[in-house]
Amino acid sequence: MKALLLVLSLLGASHPASAMNHGGMMMDEKGMIMNANNDKLPSDCQKISENVDITIHAGQKHAFKFTGKMFAFDNQEWNVKPCAKINITFINDDQIRHQLMIHGLPGYLYPEGMFHLELNGEGQLQASLIMPSQKKTYLVHCELPQHMEKGMKAQLKVDGGDGDLPSIPGLTKPIKADTYYVNWTQLSLSVLVFSALLGCAIPFFIILNSTRIKDFYTQMLNKINSKKCAEKTKVSTLPDQDNSCK
Amino acid sequence: MILKRTILLIILISSLTSLAVFIAPRLQEQANITPPQTVYADSKDNNSIVIPCPNEHPEWRVAQVIDSVTIEAAPACEPDNPYDIATSVKGTNNVSMATLMQTNLAQDALTMTDDLDHDGDPDVIHIKLEVIELNGGTPDGNFLINTFDIAPGIQPGLWVYAPKSRGMALKNFNSVVANPMLRAPSPVIRVEQGDKVYITLENTHYLPHTIHLHGVDHPWLTSKGEDNDGMEEHAVFPGKSHTYEIKPRHAGTMLYHCHVQTAQHFMMGLAGMFIVEENQPNNWLQTFNIGAGQVRHPSSTVKNSYSQEYDLHYQSVDKKLAKIIQDANDPRLVAEHMSRDYNMTESFENYFLLNGHSFPYTLRDAMIIASDNEDIKLHVANLQRSAVAIHIHGHKATITALDGVDQPTAIQITRDVFDIAPAQRTDLHLLTKNDGLHSYGPGLWMFHDHTATGTTTDGLEPGGNMAILAYKQLLDEQGMPKMHDELFDQIFNKNYYAKKMAIWGEGTFAPLLGDAGLLTPNYSRVILFGLTIGLIIGLLLLVVLAYKRNQKQ
Repeated sequence: MKALLLVLSLLGASHPASAMNHGGMMMDEKGMIMNANNDKLPSDCQKISENVDITIHAGQKHAFKFTGKMFAFDNQEWNVKPCAKINITFINDDQIRHQLMIHGLPGYLYPEGMFHLELNGEGQLQASLIMPSQKKTYLVHCELPQHMEKGMKAQLKVDGGDGDLPSIPGLTKPIKADTYYVNWTQLSLSVLVFSALLGCAIPFFIILNSTRIKDFYTQMLNKINSKKCAEKTKVSTLPDQDNSCK
Repeated sequence: MILKRTILLIILISSLTSLAVFIAPRLQEQANITPPQTVYADSKDNNSIVIPCPNEHPEWRVAQVIDSVTIEAAPACEPDNPYDIATSVKGTNNVSMATLMQTNLAQDALTMTDDLDHDGDPDVIHIKLEVIELNGGTPDGNFLINTFDIAPGIQPGLWVYAPKSRGMALKNFNSVVANPMLRAPSPVIRVEQGDKVYITLENTHYLPHTIHLHGVDHPWLTSKGEDNDGMEEHAVFPGKSHTYEIKPRHAGTMLYHCHVQTAQHFMMGLAGMFIVEENQPNNWLQTFNIGAGQVRHPSSTVKNSYSQEYDLHYQSVDKKLAKIIQDANDPRLVAEHMSRDYNMTESFENYFLLNGHSFPYTLRDAMIIASDNEDIKLHVANLQRSAVAIHIHGHKATITALDGVDQPTAIQITRDVFDIAPAQRTDLHLLTKNDGLHSYGPGLWMFHDHTATGTTTDGLEPGGNMAILAYKQLLDEQGMPKMHDELFDQIFNKNYYAKKMAIWGEGTFAPLLGDAGLLTPNYSRVILFGLTIGLIIGLLLLVVLAYKRNQKQ
């Protein structure tokens, strides 16, 4: 808390211009909170609709439940009502830095449209934010190089959200997916050979049954035609011009 | 009769075929009397042109005092952030919050406390390093993220150690460019002889890494009895941290590097200079020299004998190795491709970097900028896979130390090519005295690795680790060499390094040395060939039809 006071006083005293920029920021050796919002209502909200308490764990161990990832949050999606107040407890389970960033928020409440928690190592932070009423999906991620890319990506949906974001572990497909070798076994090879042989047999089957196929075809054609004629006579009284119904 | 006709047909078809082969138009043909015209590349392609000096922070160039830390002038185009320097000197715990806010350093990146020997400087130093991937891939599209251009348009995948940072890793919200603190090479680290130094590796990367303190006096185990040598079997896994402890008794230019899958991880960029400075009173050192190059707050010892100090970090990249991290996102695939598919014994070096950049970007932040009669200290480290032979045009420098061990004055060698094997360090005394031996006078003197590959970027000159020893009077106000405008117009261009532009494609000699154009197709030949081929096919069809009709009859 001492450090925090120091931050604020120094910012206020020596750098009035940058104090504006860092107005919503609190920082100490543990980490930082940027653009927390306890009470300011978004302009499209009359009142807070619900109070939601969310605990978000960040850490390498949460990636064990996915394949092909290295870092993750313990949850990949949250749903809240429009104008909900979210009280976030952000817990870092690793011995390294992690962030919780939420993007795309209204700039007049959250500078750069961002809510940002950062923990320098193991520990926890608490901060709140109030969501606008708009039906929207927000990106939640850790912005350290390769952390989102390797799995630390989630989404926050207000009012059901306006779609899904790509490459969320276990939820959505990546835009640029990795390629892997396919497991070709004797079984899959024999299925392939059998299918090929079957394919070869198709022309013979057609030739041998050509008359039956022809009959079947004409029958089908007649059926379709008679259906069409029935409809035509129902819909209009005009004479049938192409004579196909006679 | 039929036989006769058949024979005739056969002869006709075969002769037509021979004719077709004879007149076939080729992909390449010999020119007539007049070879094709010269073509001129569209050098006005604005997307490929790069501004020689972006000049983002001219105010960082001047000599200044921040938080009572004196910072020397740096006339180069891209000077180091002076607030980074002030924080590197005083520590994140001693510097003002206003200064810290002007950096991207985390509040616990560098703590300096306890003046144990009561000589006016802190002696307990806690350094925290993270591992950062530059020009990495992403599953979110076909682009690279946290980009760092080593030369116009050249973005090889790289790994670096970086001082622990905070906030956005990108330059801004609309950009995929890495913030300026996240760059190659791994930062130069300076500590004082006898300091209690704790170096914590916080592995923010998705593969295991370590820090091995090459040449730096360190016990084999930490005080807790844990690994202190950074060997492969004690790898620090993703999300974990490990603290190495040293109290170096010997001063000199040393190294630190990752010792996990060493050949590959070293070449990816996990290696840097570690300099132990002599213990002196009131000796506040610039702990991090981010991006190497000029030391804007030299140690007391250096200031006593030299007017300036530079760190020169030579590094090379195999583009095939670098691409592995861009092509796959799954850490298992990266691990497999890098450690088992990639074969270091069949590798090449394609890019050659000095202080993280290849020419012409070396002109922005890797020049040595001198005045007449200066004594300049150079720490040269070879962190390439191959040996280097550093040559400074117009000068002969003197070797003062090898691998961090001072050379006795009597046997110090003065020469103009310095051969440095991989991982070796050479300290040089560069004297800019115009005496015909140490210096031939003011100039924009090139300096580079004289190995044939060293001055190329993927084989293309001018590139590689080429840089300039520039005399101040020959630099413009942005710190760029004067008299180079024409060259700059040509090479500060992504198309040039993509090999799409002729080397001498502009100027008086462009018509004679530019790119030769293409030959116009010989249309009479094309038509004749087409007709012949058509005729052959027609005849063959005719034969088939005739044969069928005969069969029916």
